[in-house]
This record gives sequence, C-alpha cells and structure tokens, in this order.
Amino acid sequence: MIPALAHLGDSTPRRRGGARSLARRTADAIGHAVAEVLENDELASSAGLMQALDPRVKLVSVLAFSVVASFVHSVPMLLALAVATMALAVASNVPIASFAGKVWTSAGFFGLLLSAPAATEWITPGQILISLGPLSITAPGLLIATRLIARVAVGAGFGLLVVWTTRWTDLLRALSAMGVPDLVVATLAMTQKQIMSLLRTVENMHLARESRMLTGGTVRQNRTWVIERMAFVALRSMKTADDIYDAMLARGFSGAMPSLVDLRATARDAAWTAASIAACALALVIDRMVFPV
Amino acid sequence: MHIPDGYLGPQTYAALDAAIIPIWAIAGSRIKKTLKTKQVPLMALAAAFSFVIMMFNVPVIGGSTGHAVGAVLIAILLGPWAACVSVSIALVIQALVFGDGGITAIGANVINMAVIMPFVGFYLYRLVAGDRPGYGRRIAASGIAAYVGIVAASIAAGVEFGLQPLLAHTASGQALYAPYPLSVAVPAMAVEHLLFFGWVEALVTMGIVAVLARQDSALLEMKPAAKPLRWLWAGLAGLILLTPLGVLAQGTAWGEWGAAELRASLGYLPAGLGRIGSLWTSAMPDYAPPFIADPLVGYLVAAVLGSTLVVGVTWLLGRLLARPNEDPKQPGPGPGAA
Repeated sequence: MIPALAHLGDSTPRRRGGARSLARRTADAIGHAVAEVLENDELASSAGLMQALDPRVKLVSVLAFSVVASFVHSVPMLLALAVATMALAVASNVPIASFAGKVWTSAGFFGLLLSAPAATEWITPGQILISLGPLSITAPGLLIATRLIARVAVGAGFGLLVVWTTRWTDLLRALSAMGVPDLVVATLAMTQKQIMSLLRTVENMHLARESRMLTGGTVRQNRTWVIERMAFVALRSMKTADDIYDAMLARGFSGAMPSLVDLRATARDAAWTAASIAACALALVIDRMVFPV
Repeated sequence: MHIPDGYLGPQTYAALDAAIIPIWAIAGSRIKKTLKTKQVPLMALAAAFSFVIMMFNVPVIGGSTGHAVGAVLIAILLGPWAACVSVSIALVIQALVFGDGGITAIGANVINMAVIMPFVGFYLYRLVAGDRPGYGRRIAASGIAAYVGIVAASIAAGVEFGLQPLLAHTASGQALYAPYPLSVAVPAMAVEHLLFFGWVEALVTMGIVAVLARQDSALLEMKPAAKPLRWLWAGLAGLILLTPLGVLAQGTAWGEWGAAELRASLGYLPAGLGRIGSLWTSAMPDYAPPFIADPLVGYLVAAVLGSTLVVGVTWLLGRLLARPNEDPKQPGPGPGAA
C-alpha cells in the first residue's frame, strides 16, 4: 500500500511569478518517479487479465505484439492495435484515463512534435490539404505523420502494459527463466533497489536545499551545487558497492547466484498464447490483404 | 536520445538488437577478468548512478536546464566495458520499469549510449589526458571526451533515423518509419547536441571529475586502455564495411556538385569553374574504380584503397618527421602505454 503522504500535492509557497525553484522542481520530479514505481507495483499486484498471466508468456507475447506493430503499415490497422492496447488495459483494471494520458502525452506528444515537419510540403511534397505557404500540409505528409504517431503510440501502449501489470520481481523471474544469466538478473535486481535508494537520497538533498534557501540562487550557484551533489552521489555509489560486497561476503556469498525460477504456466497461459498468435497473424493478414499500402 | 518503439523499422532494430548480444558477452567476460566477484554490486551501483544522474536538472543558460547521460564519466571511473554493462542495465530498467525508450529499440539505445558514447569518450580521454595527467589536463580531457562522446552517440542515432526512409518506404516513396532522410536527421540530432546537450555533458563530467580529483583521486586512476590501436583498426574496418551505405543516399552533398550537375541546376557552367575543374582528372572519380562494374563493390574497394593510402602517407610522414635519436621500440607516454 502506498503511504498517503506520497499522494500529497506540492503545498510549498510559490516564489514570485508562480515559478518553483530548481531544487523543488527536481525533488518533485524524483518524488513523482518514485511514487510512480510504487503505484506500478501496487497495480501489478491487483487482479486483472494481464496480471494473471505467467510473466514469461506476457513478456514474449507483448514483445511479439510490438514486433507485429512494427510490420503493420496501414493507419486503420495501427489504430485498431492502439484500441487493442486500451482494451487490454481495461481488462487488466488499469485506469484507462491514466493509461491513455501517459501514452499520448509521452509517445503521442513527442511523436506529434517529431512528425509535424514531415507532414509539410517542405519534407513531403504532394497534394496540398491545408495551404500554409512552404509549411502547407500535404496529403502524403499527413499520412506519414499519422502513421508514425499511431505506431509510436501502439509501441508505447504495449510497453506500458508490461510496466504496469508486471511486478519487478516477476519480470526478473521471467528473464531468469528465459535464459538470461543469473549474474545479470542479480545485477538488475540490485540496480533497481539502489536506484530507489539513490533517488530518495537525491530527493532529500534537493528538499534540504529548498528548505534552506530564501531565493532561487543564481544559475552558476545552482550549477555548482548540482554538480557537487552528483559527485557526492558518485562517491557514495562506490562506497555503497564496497559495503554491499562486504555484506555479501559476510553472508557467505561464494559467487553462485540463487536461481529465481519457480514459474509454472497454466491453461490460461496456453489460451493466451494461442489467442496472441491468432491476433498477430490476423493483424498482419488484414494489414496486407485489406489495407495494402 | 532514448529512441521509442515505432521510429525504427524491423531491419534496423533487429540488426542492432542482434549486435548487442556479442557486445554484452564480450563485456561480461572482460569485466569478470578485471572486477572479479565485486562486479555485481559495483555494476549495480554504477547502473543506478547512471540512472540517477539523468534525473538531475543542470542549469545551463537563462532558465533552461538539461540532463547528462554520464556514460563517459562511468567509463573514466570504471573503464569502457564496465560502463557499457552498467549503462545498458540502466537503459533496460528505464525501458522495462519506467517505460522510457522502446522495447524493440533497446539494441539501438544500447549501441548509441552504452557502446558508442563510453568507448569514444574513454579512448579520447586517454588520448588527450595521457598516462599521468595533471589536474587541469585531466579535467579538460574529461570535458572534451564527454562532449565528443555524446555528439558521436547523437550522430549514430541520426544515422539510424535517417536510414529509415531509404530502407522502408511505400511504392510511392512514402517513409514507413522515421520520415526524415539522412540529410535532415543527422544534422538535426548533431546540432542540438553540438549546441546544447554536448555542453551539459561536458560541464557535468568536468565538474564531477574536478570534485573527485580533489576528494578521492584514487578513483580516477588511469584505467588500462587495452591496445587502443587494435580498436582503432577494428573501428576503421567497421567504417569501411559500412561505406556502401553511401551508395544508398541520393544526390550529391551540398556544395560538392560536379560540372554536369551545376550545368543542369544553373543552366550554365561558370567559365572559371569549367577551366579549373578540367585541370585534374582523378584516378577514381566519384569513388568508382573504373575496373569494377558493381557500384557497391566499387565503393568498398575505393574505401579500402583510400584508407590504405591515408595510413601509408601518415606512416611515411611519421617516419620522416621522427627524431633520428628516438628509439621506436621504446614505449613513450600515451594511451597505448598503459
């Protein structure tokens, strides 16, 4: 359960003009990232279609969906896949507004920014739909931009489904069962823990600075402070690595990594696999036969 | 620079995903030799540091901020192979836990930020810093290495984007993935890193190296640059093998038009240009040896001949300019001496 404090909004007084200080903005961003990981874990532990799947089956099937999405070229089929990601989110009890918001603000918004010039006559000449001089929107340009945005949104949607419906420990089990060396899996597990620990340290550093500062400080002061904190984090990382290694030795670490594999696929996983294969094949057939480009 | 899913076509991401497997295998065996069993916590903390460093907003100019990748810094601290593994782990976690960077594009992101950036940065750092650098030279070298490292990575990303319209398009020429050609994608990626992100990376790396040099200089002990010449040769061979990509690009580089192209676009040929342009006829015009019919093979042969010529002339000049009392067998200070 996520502590209620993690959901509290920023109640600190704003500086003149409403802008938050750099320290506050960074602390908020880090706090948001940490809270997001905790929320993801909570969501992944709840009941739902994708949460109930064996993580190996889920990982491979989502990877297959992402690969199929990269082979699909027609806009209607890509939009259908985008709708499919949302249907899977609903079936997995993922809040659909958050899901759509995350997909479209991250992937969709950046896709729009990146693909917008491609929609113009400057990059893609062709029949003009909206006349804006050299930046007129052309029909083939609009098609290219729409296809790119839809494809990126589909990819982000499938990626987010894995992130939001799989606990990190289950993901590590899946990777271990799929042949990823135990040493790599152990490093991944330790990295994630240390990321959270270092993020908390960095967040506290920024909050402490915010609480001590009456003004925002100059660019130079802020830059010097940030770089010194980064160096501190580097030094602390090295020291923590030594401490962890000493602790591992003290606990009898001999270099062998315990295996995390204790997964068992069920009939539900078999049905999901069959449905996934059928869906992938159907998407490709419809794309090539019904909407050839 | 994190490439999401959808921008790269299957030909590109499959090739790059496949390419990282042997790189990770080599990196794993290399760090096992140097770091022994301490590698797990050290790699984990280095990866965590690589992740966390990206969360720091660094004030640059006015109200703008940027963030660093830190791959060159980790390469300076732990060596390039360890940096390759730790930044790779950070990128995998970003993709699988935070949804930053695509699942199919993991190979591309790893090649750019966990291979090209630390290796280019590390060897440049060794080259500029030498074996026993002083405080100022060490910091300058780290800044130059970080700047060039991230710019090199951004150019690689630009090439990956720019190849898409050439590799995958409809019958009418519409791009199916990233829509911008090499002539747009490479400058767009390079310019933003040359003008902004490169400076952020350099500033952060120099600042941290300066603090570490004052507080715990043992961390900055020069890591062995195992036979850098071997890597330069390998890099040269890789670039030669990639030269046929140049044949895929349409048109001529801006400002390098031949007489026929100028006449076609201007409607006439400037008299002076026509006079001077005919003074010298090259042995292999347009990198196409006259004795080879296939343009791809011809381009490859031209690259091999050109590289051999450049290396040969440089070697000859080095021999001529070397001081007569220098013993060529005596290793001098430099990156290869470690």
